[in-house]
Amino acid sequence: MKRLAKLLTLALAWTLAVPGVVRAEESVNIGLLSDLSGPTSAVGVPYSEGIKDAAKYLNENGGIAGKPLKLIEVDYAYNAQQALSAYKRFTSQDKIVALQGWGTQDTEALTKFVGKDQIPTLSASYSAHLTDPAKAPYNFFVAADYSTQIRGALKYFKANWKEARAPKVAFVYPDHPYGLVPIPAAKDYAKELGFEIVGDETVALGAMDAMAQMLRLQKLAPDYVWIGGTTPSAAVIMKDAQKLGFKTTFFCNIWGVDESLFKLAGDAANGTYSLQTAVVYGQKVPGMAVIEKLTNGAPKMTHYIRGFASMLVMAEGLKIAAAKGPLTGPAIKDALETLRDYNPMGLTPPISYFPNDHRPNMSVIIYKVDAGKMVEVVTETLERKPEWLGK
Amino acid sequence: MHGQCGLFFRTYAGEAQLFPGRFLKISMLLFFAALCLAPWAMNKYLVSILCLINISVIGAVSLNLLTGSCGQISLGHGAFFGVGAYSAAYLANLGLPFLLVLPGAGAITALTGMVFGLPSLRLKGIYLAIATLAAQLILEYVFLHWDAVTGGSGGMALDPPSIFGFAFDSDLKMFYLTLAVAVLCVLAVRNVMRTRLGRAFVAIRDYHLSAEIVGVDLFAYKLRAFGLSSFLAGVGGALWGSYTMYITPEQFGIGLSVSYLAMIIIGGLGSVIGGVFGAVFITILPELLNFIAQHAGAAFTDLSGALLAMKEGVFGLVLVLFLIFEPEGLANRWRLVKSYWKLYPFAH
Repeated sequence: MKRLAKLLTLALAWTLAVPGVVRAEESVNIGLLSDLSGPTSAVGVPYSEGIKDAAKYLNENGGIAGKPLKLIEVDYAYNAQQALSAYKRFTSQDKIVALQGWGTQDTEALTKFVGKDQIPTLSASYSAHLTDPAKAPYNFFVAADYSTQIRGALKYFKANWKEARAPKVAFVYPDHPYGLVPIPAAKDYAKELGFEIVGDETVALGAMDAMAQMLRLQKLAPDYVWIGGTTPSAAVIMKDAQKLGFKTTFFCNIWGVDESLFKLAGDAANGTYSLQTAVVYGQKVPGMAVIEKLTNGAPKMTHYIRGFASMLVMAEGLKIAAAKGPLTGPAIKDALETLRDYNPMGLTPPISYFPNDHRPNMSVIIYKVDAGKMVEVVTETLERKPEWLGK
Repeated sequence: MHGQCGLFFRTYAGEAQLFPGRFLKISMLLFFAALCLAPWAMNKYLVSILCLINISVIGAVSLNLLTGSCGQISLGHGAFFGVGAYSAAYLANLGLPFLLVLPGAGAITALTGMVFGLPSLRLKGIYLAIATLAAQLILEYVFLHWDAVTGGSGGMALDPPSIFGFAFDSDLKMFYLTLAVAVLCVLAVRNVMRTRLGRAFVAIRDYHLSAEIVGVDLFAYKLRAFGLSSFLAGVGGALWGSYTMYITPEQFGIGLSVSYLAMIIIGGLGSVIGGVFGAVFITILPELLNFIAQHAGAAFTDLSGALLAMKEGVFGLVLVLFLIFEPEGLANRWRLVKSYWKLYPFAH
C-alpha cells in the first residue's frame, strides 16, 4: 500500500506539475483558501463568492497590467493540516504571488510560512495581533480588527449616553480563541470611557441554550451586552433573553450578525447593533452597481461584499507593484504599504497600510437591526493610536 | 538443504525477528532507498505531504498501541498530540536544543497521558472513551487559558528545529527529520509488541480477567500503555509544532482525535503496519479528492464550488465503504495480497 501510495503521489506530481508550469507564465496566480464544507462554511461560502466575483470583474476590466487574475481555490474545511498542504501546493505548483486566506485556523497556522516565503496574505481573520508587521509582516486584512470594532461601538454608546450614572456593560463570548481575543482590549477601553463592567458570561459557539447565562446577566441589569459569537449562538442568546423578558441593548461582532440572523432569531434580533466594516447589499455606493450586475440582483450577505473588497484591495496592490516591475511578494507587500485612503468602490471605509502598521483603518460601520433589515446608524472612526497596534 | 518453501524457523528468536527472510530485508532496503531519494524528484507540495504522512504515522502508530493492541480506547489523542506540541514550543523557547526538546516533549506528554489514564483502572470500553473525551476537553481548556505557558488564544510561535547548528528549515530537511523519527517510533512499537510488555497489552485487550490470572498487573500495564502511547504522541506533536512553526489551541481539537481513530480503524486495529497504512491513506485522501474536484471543476465551471465542498461528503462515504468491505483494515488486505502473490499461480 505504501508503494502504491508512492506511485499515486508520483503520478499526482506529474499531472499537477506539468500544467502548473504552463499556467504560471500567462496569469497572475492567487491562492484562495476557503471553507466550503467545514464549521465556518455558512459565512465562508459567501465570502469566497465575493472574492471570485471580484476577480471576474477585474478580469473583465483588463486584469493586472494586461494579465488575467487566476484564482486557485482549495476547500480546506477549516482544518490546519489541509490548509498547510494547500498552501504548499499553492507556492510550489501554482506559483502564487499572493494568498486570499480565510479564518483564524489557516491564517495563524500560516503566519510564519507566509512571512518566510514572502507571500502577501489577505484574510478574514481580524485578530489585532495580525496588524503588527513586527509579528506578521505579510498579513493584511481589509476590516478594522476585532478590538477596534468593539472600541468604536463603545465610543458611540458613551457619546449617546444621556443618564447621569455610568453605563453598565457585560460581555458574552465563546470560550474560544476567536471570542477571547478582543476581550482584554474591550474591557480596558470600557474602563477608560467610564463604563461599569458588570459581568462576563461564556456561551459556546454551538450552544443550544443560554438561559442560565441570561438569567445571571438579567440580575446584573447591564445596559449593553456584547455578543462575541457567530450567528447561531447570537440567535440563541437573543431568543433566550427575549423569553426571560431581559431588556438590554445587544451589540454583536462582525460574524455575529448578518442577514441569516433574521431567520434564526426573528424579532428577538430587533434593536441589536451590528458592527460591520463593509456596506450591506443594496446600499448606494459606486461598487454596488457592479455587484448587483454580477449577482443578477440576488442579495448576498455582507461577508460577500467584504470578500469582494478584499480582492479589490489586493488587486490595487498588484497593479501598483506590476507598474514598478516584476510581481514578487516583497514588491506587492511594499505596494500595499503605499496605499493611502484607497477606496474600494465605496464598499468599505478607505484603506491605508503603513510599513510599521497594517491596520487598514480605524472605522467601524454600526448597523441596527430593524424588522429584518440592517439599517446604517453611523460610521465611527477612532484615532490611530500607536499603543493600540496589535492589541 | 533440500529446497525449502517459505520460511522455516527452528528458534523462537528466529521467529520473532523483525525482518525474516532475505526478500523482505532487500525489499525494505529498496523501499527506504526509494523513499529517501523520492523527495529530490518532487516539488515542495508533495514533500510537505510526505512530512505530514510521517507525522501522522507517529500519531496513528502510537494510538494503535493503546487502542488497537491494549484495547484502551482513547478519544483524547489529539489533545495529547497538542501537549507534545506545546511542550516542545515551551522547551524550545527556553533555549533547549532540539535533541532534548523532542524527548522532553514526549516525557511531559507521557506524564499527562498517565494521569488521564488513571481512570482506566475502573473504566472500560465506552466509559473509558468518555473519560478520555473529558481529557480532550480539559486539555483544550488548558491550552486556551494557561496564557503564561501556552500563549492562550494568541497561540505560540516556534523556530524550525536545529541539531548541532544544522537548521531543518525547509520541507526537504523536515522530511528527513520526520522520516527518521517516524521510523524510530515504528520500530520501537514493533519491538514493544514482541516483548513481555506487548504480550501483556494484547492479553489485557483480549480478556482482562485471563490477563490478571496469568500474572499481568492490569493497572500497571494499562498505565504503561497510556504512558508509552502518549510519549510517542508527544514526539509527533513536537514535530508537528516544529514543522508548522505556529500552534494554536484550535489545531488540537476533537477532530484530530477522531481522525487518528479513523486512521487506525481503516489501517487495521492492533497492527503496527496498519497504523502506517491508515496514516498514509487518511492524509492522502483529502488531497486526492481536492485534486479530482479541481479538475472536475475545470470541466464544469458552474459546479466547481459544489464539487469542492463535496469532498467532505466523499471522505465520509469512503470511510463507511471501508468499514463495510474491509472491516479488518488495510493491514488485512495487504496480508491477502501478499499471500496471493506468494502462492501465485497455484493459489487454491
